Amino acid sequence: MTGEPPLTLRVNGEERTVPEVAADTRLLDLLRWRLGLKGTKEGCRTGGCGACTVLVNGESVLSCLTLAREMERQEVTTVEGLTGTPEAEAVQQAFAEAGAVQCGYCTPGFVLALVSLRREHGASPPDLPTLANELGGNLCRCTGYYAIVRALADLLGVPVTSELPKSTFTVEPGGSP
Amino acid sequence: MAYALHFPRSFEEAFRLLDPQGQPPALPLAGGTDLLPAVEAGRWHPGALVSLSRLPLATFERAGDEVLIGGTLPLRRLEREPAIGELLPGFAEALREVGSVPLRHRATLGGNVVRASPASDLLPPLLALEASLDLRSQHGRRRVALVDFLRGSWETTLQRGELVERIRVPVPRPGSYRWQRVRPANDISQVGVATALVTSDARSPWRIAAGGMESHPQRLSGAEAALPQEDPSPGEIEEAVHRAREGTRLKDDRRAGEEYRRHLLGVLLRRSITSTVERARSMKGRRT
Ligand code: FES
Ligand code: FES
Repeated sequence: MTGEPPLTLRVNGEERTVPEVAADTRLLDLLRWRLGLKGTKEGCRTGGCGACTVLVNGESVLSCLTLAREMERQEVTTVEGLTGTPEAEAVQQAFAEAGAVQCGYCTPGFVLALVSLRREHGASPPDLPTLANELGGNLCRCTGYYAIVRALADLLGVPVTSELPKSTFTVEPGGSP
Repeated sequence: MAYALHFPRSFEEAFRLLDPQGQPPALPLAGGTDLLPAVEAGRWHPGALVSLSRLPLATFERAGDEVLIGGTLPLRRLEREPAIGELLPGFAEALREVGSVPLRHRATLGGNVVRASPASDLLPPLLALEASLDLRSQHGRRRVALVDFLRGSWETTLQRGELVERIRVPVPRPGSYRWQRVRPANDISQVGVATALVTSDARSPWRIAAGGMESHPQRLSGAEAALPQEDPSPGEIEEAVHRAREGTRLKDDRRAGEEYRRHLLGVLLRRSITSTVERARSMKGRRT
């Protein structure tokens, strides 16, 4: 569509101006198709899988449910933008040690969700079941989650002394009985 | 599907853009987590979306015996407010069950309330807490109790051109929220039950509300009346469960059959009452 205004935002630390961004363009499509950042994946496009997770001003956000033009002058970080940072190295190491990657399609979304949780919780992370629940918006079709949750626990320094509680992955009525 | 997109910087400008006579209608855009997929699926055909992101609505304030929650405050920020966990523990635990963390970084309380989903995890606790809404339009402001605002599934008394400025919730109130789903995280509840205690109301201290009903989430007044004291006897709890199960029309759909929901309603109500009683004990001395 022509006649649409340009959009200026910061992506991975750099100011970018993208010409003619239509009102209904999603942040996901802006990143992948206008900026060529294909590390951000599309899964469901309806908020159910987390594959499209990016950081907006440091917080995890679903880019498939975010209009690109809401990002005017905001700071967007994709998995490409983490590369080489100490944060990325810590996540990579935790993922490698736990064996948390198989096909890798879900991995960028998980990495950004993890980074966001790590920043939010800082030095006082919640217990393991809570952390596992907080990763519940990211789906993985390969790994069965155990290794990913374990990577998060390692990253936040939450002890995994035994097996993860079974209730982490099975259905119990909400909250404690 | 093409629509215009506006970013008003004042309420005046927003109300002009949200002109109730406009065709096709202009819709307010808060977090967008529900609105955008609905528009993409063709369920709505707005002429314009009016983003509320530049308006001073993402606020949080404790004012005397209420908390005032701005209409566009993201749910994750609300859930991480220490005052919510301390003063409204039941609401806090419901907030943690909405969608996922990245979704809650953008989804807003005003959006959830206005949407009036029959499966909302936030409406049962807000009803049990006797929340009210400050609505604002070009004609001024009005305050309405949430129980009067909700009219049916996906149906409220919100007028075109009207915005949720604040959600008001009385504090402190011991309470709890119990739910059941197919998957524990990032799913939609089949039944959700919220209970809360109003200790200043000596004759009927309990407030109970549930979602998963045939229509929108509602108060269960029959069950409330079976609980005349803050610390109910086992017999009184069973009577409340009985009345809730008998007096409620529940949804029957692909997510859960009616009979199963009725079973859940009883189990979850029992658990929620027990948990609220425990919380009331540990909150003693801090509540009104
Ligand atoms: S593609 Fe965004 S949540 Fe699935
Ligand atoms: S590693 Fe394949 S989807 Fe997660």
